[in-house]
Amino acid sequence: MQDLTDNALMLKVKNGDLDKLGLLYERHKKRLFGFFYNLGNNPSVSEDLVQNVFVRILKYRGSYIGEGAFTAWMFRMARNVNYDYHKKASKENISTGVSPEDVKAGTEDHINEEIEKKGNTVLLKQALAKLPEEKRELLILSKYRELKFSEIAQIVGCTENAAKVRVHRALKELRTIFSQLEIA
Amino acid sequence: MNKENFETRSIDYMSGAMSEEEKRDFMKFLDENPEYTDQFDELARTWKMINVLDTPEPSSKMDEAFFEMLSGEVEKMNKKNGWETLMEGLMMVFKPQLAYGILLLGIGLGVGYYMNSSDNTNSTQNIVSNQETENVRQKLVLTLLEQPSANQRLQGVSEANKFEDVDEMVIKALLQTLNNDSNVNVRLAAIESLTNYVDKPLVRQGLVKSIPNQESPILQITLANLMVALQEKASIEPFKQLLKEKQLDTTVQKKIENSIESII
Repeated sequence: MQDLTDNALMLKVKNGDLDKLGLLYERHKKRLFGFFYNLGNNPSVSEDLVQNVFVRILKYRGSYIGEGAFTAWMFRMARNVNYDYHKKASKENISTGVSPEDVKAGTEDHINEEIEKKGNTVLLKQALAKLPEEKRELLILSKYRELKFSEIAQIVGCTENAAKVRVHRALKELRTIFSQLEIA
Repeated sequence: MNKENFETRSIDYMSGAMSEEEKRDFMKFLDENPEYTDQFDELARTWKMINVLDTPEPSSKMDEAFFEMLSGEVEKMNKKNGWETLMEGLMMVFKPQLAYGILLLGIGLGVGYYMNSSDNTNSTQNIVSNQETENVRQKLVLTLLEQPSANQRLQGVSEANKFEDVDEMVIKALLQTLNNDSNVNVRLAAIESLTNYVDKPLVRQGLVKSIPNQESPILQITLANLMVALQEKASIEPFKQLLKEKQLDTTVQKKIENSIESII
C-alpha cells in the first residue's frame, strides 16, 4: 500500500514513470475541477485549468521533494494556475465566471422550495464571487475534508492557526454578503 | 476564551478536527456565552451552505485531453531519453582528457606525416647523392687501376667491389687489368672482383677470353675453379689451347684437365 500513496506515486512520476500521473489524475480530478468551478470558473474553463495543473505538475516534477502532503503541493499549483489564468484573462478581457445574466435568469422564478434552494445556491455563488480572491480560495480549500488545516496553511503560506482565523473571517464576510444579496 | 481562540475553535469544531472532550468543552462554552452562540450559528449555516455547494461532474472530454497530453509527454520523454543517451555518449567522447589525447594523436600524425614526406625528399636526395658517389667511385676505380703502384691498383680493384650496379666501363677496366696487369696479386684481385658480376655476359666472355693470356699457375687454377663453378662450356676451347701452347706446371695441367672433364 505504501507504493500507492500520493507521495509515492508522485515520486515515481518524478523519476520518470510518467504513467503514474494517470492514477493521481483519477484521484484528484474531481476535487480540482470543483476547486476551479467553485472559485467561479465555468465548467469548460475549469476543465482546462485542471489540465493545466497536471501539465505544470509534469513540468515541475523535478522540484517535488516528497515533503508534506502531495495535495498541498498540488493545490499550490492549482492556485497559481488559477491566478495566472485570471491575470491573462483580465488582460484579454475575457469573461471567465458565471455571467450575471445567467444568474439573474436563475433567480427570477423560485416557486417552490427546490427552486428556492437553487436560488440560494445561485446567491451563494454570487456572494462567493464578490468575496476577495484570497478568501474565496480559502473557503473552497477548507470545504475539502481531506485537506487538514495544516495543509491548507502550507498551500496559502501561513500558520495553521492563522489559516483557521482567516477561514472564520472569510465565512463571516461571506455571510454578510449573502445576507445583503438576499435582501436586495 | 478570547476572540481569536473562538475563531480557531469554531473552525476546528465545524471541520471535525476536535476530540469528543474538546467538542463538549466548546459546546459548554457556547451555552455559557450566548453572544458567541449566535455568531457560531450563523457561521455554521454558511459553512453548511458551502459544503453542500454542488459541483457538476467534469466531462469525459477532460479525461480524453488529459490522457492525450500524458501519452504525448511519455512519448516525448522516451525520445528525449534516446537523445540524452546520445548526448551523454558524445560528452563521454569529448571528455577533456580524451580530447587532449586525440589532439596529441593528431599532432603526432601530422608531425609523422611531415617527417615522412621530408624523408621522401631525403631518399631522393640519397639516390642522387648515391649516384654521385657511384660516379666518383667509378672515376676513382678507373684512375686507381692506371696507377703504377700495384698497391694502388689493388685498392682500385677492391674499390670496384663496392659498386651496387657495376658500369660497363669498370668491367672493361677490370678485364684489362686481369689480362695485362704485371702484378699477379692485382690480377687475382681482379678475378675476385669480377666474380661478383658473373651474371653479366660481358664478364663471362671476358673471363673466358683471358684464360689463354694467363701465365701464373695460381691464376690459371683460380680461373679453372671459377669456370667449373660456372659450368662455362665456352671455356673448354681456351683451356685446351692453353694446354697445347704453354708449358704448364704439371699440377696446373692436371687441374685444367680435370676441370675440362667436369665442365663437359
